[in-house]
Amino acid sequence: MTDRRSNVLTVCMVVLVIYFLLPLFWLVIASTKNVGDLFSSFGLWFAHDFSFFSNVHDTLTNNGGVFARWMGNTVFYSVVSAGGAAFLCALGGYGFAKYRFRGNSAMFGLVLGAIMVPTTALAIPTYLLFSKAGLVNTPLAIILPSLVSPFGLYLMRIYAQDAVPDGIIEAARIDGASEFRIFFQVALRLLAPGVVTVLLFTLVATWNNYFLPLIMLNNPDLYPVTVGLAAWSSQAGAGGGTTGAVLSLVITGSLLSVVPLIAAFLLLQRYWQSGLASGGVKA
Amino acid sequence: MFINRIRRRTSAGTALVLAAALVLAACGGGGGGSASGGASTAQTVSQSDIDKAMSTPTELTFWTWVPNIQQEVNLFEKKYPAIKVKVVNAGQGTPQYTKLRTALKAGTGFPDAVQIEFQYIPTFALTKSLMDLRPYGAEALKDKFVPWTWQQVVGSGGQVWAVPQDSGPMGMLYRKDIFDKYGIAVPKTWDEFAAAARKLHAADPNVSMTNLAQSQAGVWFGLLWQAGVKPFETPSTDSVKVNLNGDGSKKLATYWGGLIKDGVVSADADFNDAWYQALNRGKYATWLTAAWGPVFLAGSAKATAGKWRAAPLPQWQAGQNASGNWGGSTTAVVQGTKNPIAAAKLAEFINTDPASTKMFATQQFLFPVTKALLADSSYVDQPLPFYGGQPVNKLFAGISDTVDTKFQWPPFLDQAVNDWNETVGKSFANKSDTNAALDQWQDRITKYAQNQGFKVNQ
Amino acid sequence: MSVTTDQRLEASAPSRREARRQRRGVGHASTGYAFVAPFMVVFVAMLVLPLAYAAYLSLFQERLIGGTVFAGLGNYTRALTDPRLLDGVGRVALFFVIQVPVMLVIALVAALAIDSGLLRAAKAFRLGIFLPYAVPSVVAALMWGYLYGRDFGPFSQLAGDLGLPAPKFLTSSWMLGSLANVVTWEFTGYNMIILYAALRAVPHDLYEAAAVDGAGAIRTAWSIKIPALRPALLVCVIFSVIGSFQLFNEPQLMQRLAPSVIDSGYTPNLYAYSLAFTGQEVNYAAAVSFLLGAVIVVASYAVLFVTTRRSRS
Repeated sequence: MTDRRSNVLTVCMVVLVIYFLLPLFWLVIASTKNVGDLFSSFGLWFAHDFSFFSNVHDTLTNNGGVFARWMGNTVFYSVVSAGGAAFLCALGGYGFAKYRFRGNSAMFGLVLGAIMVPTTALAIPTYLLFSKAGLVNTPLAIILPSLVSPFGLYLMRIYAQDAVPDGIIEAARIDGASEFRIFFQVALRLLAPGVVTVLLFTLVATWNNYFLPLIMLNNPDLYPVTVGLAAWSSQAGAGGGTTGAVLSLVITGSLLSVVPLIAAFLLLQRYWQSGLASGGVKA
Repeated sequence: MFINRIRRRTSAGTALVLAAALVLAACGGGGGGSASGGASTAQTVSQSDIDKAMSTPTELTFWTWVPNIQQEVNLFEKKYPAIKVKVVNAGQGTPQYTKLRTALKAGTGFPDAVQIEFQYIPTFALTKSLMDLRPYGAEALKDKFVPWTWQQVVGSGGQVWAVPQDSGPMGMLYRKDIFDKYGIAVPKTWDEFAAAARKLHAADPNVSMTNLAQSQAGVWFGLLWQAGVKPFETPSTDSVKVNLNGDGSKKLATYWGGLIKDGVVSADADFNDAWYQALNRGKYATWLTAAWGPVFLAGSAKATAGKWRAAPLPQWQAGQNASGNWGGSTTAVVQGTKNPIAAAKLAEFINTDPASTKMFATQQFLFPVTKALLADSSYVDQPLPFYGGQPVNKLFAGISDTVDTKFQWPPFLDQAVNDWNETVGKSFANKSDTNAALDQWQDRITKYAQNQGFKVNQ
Repeated sequence: MSVTTDQRLEASAPSRREARRQRRGVGHASTGYAFVAPFMVVFVAMLVLPLAYAAYLSLFQERLIGGTVFAGLGNYTRALTDPRLLDGVGRVALFFVIQVPVMLVIALVAALAIDSGLLRAAKAFRLGIFLPYAVPSVVAALMWGYLYGRDFGPFSQLAGDLGLPAPKFLTSSWMLGSLANVVTWEFTGYNMIILYAALRAVPHDLYEAAAVDGAGAIRTAWSIKIPALRPALLVCVIFSVIGSFQLFNEPQLMQRLAPSVIDSGYTPNLYAYSLAFTGQEVNYAAAVSFLLGAVIVVASYAVLFVTTRRSRS
């Protein structure tokens, strides 16, 4: 292990990281430009005019301030979906791991097979079913499908098997605790890192979801930010109205929509870590 | 349609039965195939019923993408204080139609009134999504509108499906400075236009005489319209005549396909960032566009202010005087609304009230469809500085009279446009044989229509 | 994040599973049902039912004129002979074959490098590569769409300054590569984290043994780390199969930039969307969705089958 090699490696990795961060750098630069400069100045450096604050202002006030609403919707959908999904997976995974009942492995096998079913292939039939049930164009249309995470269940079952020792459950039973009390007071704490993992996983998936809300929602007030931005970007005039000016809204809106998730990533570093560490506990 | 009258928030079971019935209804179940194709037979609503409805507190939902339409709506609300209108922008064109369809299928969440472009009226009429406005006195509005625009909203059984809002008779915007620089006279015929295009290309390969967008079926239909071609005819509800590759169409395909293949006319996709930039940079010497185009261009290509002028479209025969239409919208009332009277009156008011139509024309720059406004000199004689002070509206008001009244749209426009993009549009993009692409288009649409149960004649 | 999956995958070897099964199962069956019921109910309602419904719908044909008729397997025979669908499936298969190896190699190299202890500020590298995963694919597609711009994209500007022709990112010959680049950019970090997590779980005594044998970092990576990563790599591949065949967001958003290149049948998912919402051929769209699901399941199992067979031989 010489220093030289690590320098070579470091340089290679720097190049790689530049590739991964360059578009984000461009996004930051672009959000400081007015439309005219977007078209004329060099893309990877600041233009003469610094329009960042006026862009943010325009983005937040366009269409009666609908952007803030979209962000709120996104947060709402993803937090509720991720929380619900993680809870269902924790309950189910624990149940599959710690109880013997008829159909246990058959049901679990069915769920395993479903990991491979593409969610988008389901979106259209789900839409048709929801339209019959009158659920289309409601927040439930986004949240309900996002509550199912077969992969999350698989993870939790594997995790529960080792993280909650049978001895602890037995001891609690001898103390006369009910099964659900054992789960909520003993098991859940031990399952926490796994739950957080599933939570983050679903959170990102719902935050990024586009196809499902695109199909399910007609009311702009209910859009998540992904659908909203896509709507803005396609809002080039078919008969007057908007012009290229919407471009800087899309760019600034994109930046604003990315910031919370990046912040969450930075803040939750520890959790990734603890998830990783707990994975390493058991060989 | 009894369905619509009994649609309420119901238990899931009833909703399911209802939905099944709705789906049947929405796809032309009952298969009557009669030319009436609309709601129950038109029964005129009495004036006292109308007055009662207009003084009952009601909230209407109106889907439209006209910017700042709230001001016209305010006029309406001022006249009818009991009615509140919620304006929703559910997208522009196709995205809105997709949403409208899904909402109608779902049976919830659809608006009372909706903005529909002329070319989509048969598509939505076929699926029984629009209300016939005759019971609410719409027939009396006929004489207020330019005849061809009215023709566009009338169904085969005489139903009035919508009230015209604005139109897009086509003309040519051209860069006077570029023409002057290369000694090009404003072309009066398509032959002159082609010669000018070749001359311009030889002089400056970076400038294209015009851009015929590979993604804009609307312009193609407009040019067909001008040439007197009838691509679609609907003799009855369940039959359609598809003629997309006849002699008239082939003439156009040979003409434009040839110019594009030789590189003298570009075929960039329009209304995207690259296209806006090209307009600003002077890549296109002309824009074949609609009457809403001049003001749109003034907002989108500020860098070129003062350099543009407007002229009629070149003609196929010298001395001819014909044009087509591209775009323009109407206000329709959605089948299933609980407030048909109020919605019909909203459609009527914003599109016929003198103050409201004037606002549309002068503040949102929608090209008028009412005879009154097209004869109003304070509107038509207004000089536009972007066009060197030319009264462009006057020119387009004149062109509006030369649009043929008999052009018909297919009852499945989305598919027609989609397949155009993937055949004819693609041939522009790839500089391949446009005539062969027309045959493909014809073939695909014929197959689609047959699949959908239509009787198709060539 | 599948932080815990990988080493567990190994842990599910039959003998161990047996041992565990004897140890567990102390709870009552009815309580077990109560625990799994909430998940299973939602699972059936949101996954099994839509699938069944798609299968049911796909047997009918609803027409604009003449209502709904029973079509039997007509939609399927149409789909299997539909050149546009077959082209789309072929295109995403090609996409998979090209994009996934590239992405996984980058992810693997990055994970090994960060794990090797030869880097300064390894944490920063890990975060930098992982960050794009936090960017919604809608935003990623819009961003790259601007970056690819023919007229004012930075790459074209750079090429222009250097007197080179502008790269043609959005032409038909480049488009698949351009889309692959967007997807690679988005998901490399995600795969890297999975692999990195699996690496952390490799027992360290193995490394010490290798060091005693005088193996260098590269040799250790090749002969110890990569074999240990096999289950984790498998998870990555399966997810990539699912992702590639479902490709929708990126092409749908780039359609506007190159409408004649990305047509409505560019990917199977885009085709299903266009059939359902443009052509109103809902039944046919359901058949296409159903077939697409089947293709993905088959492809995933094929990957599993091939890899498990290879590891046995």
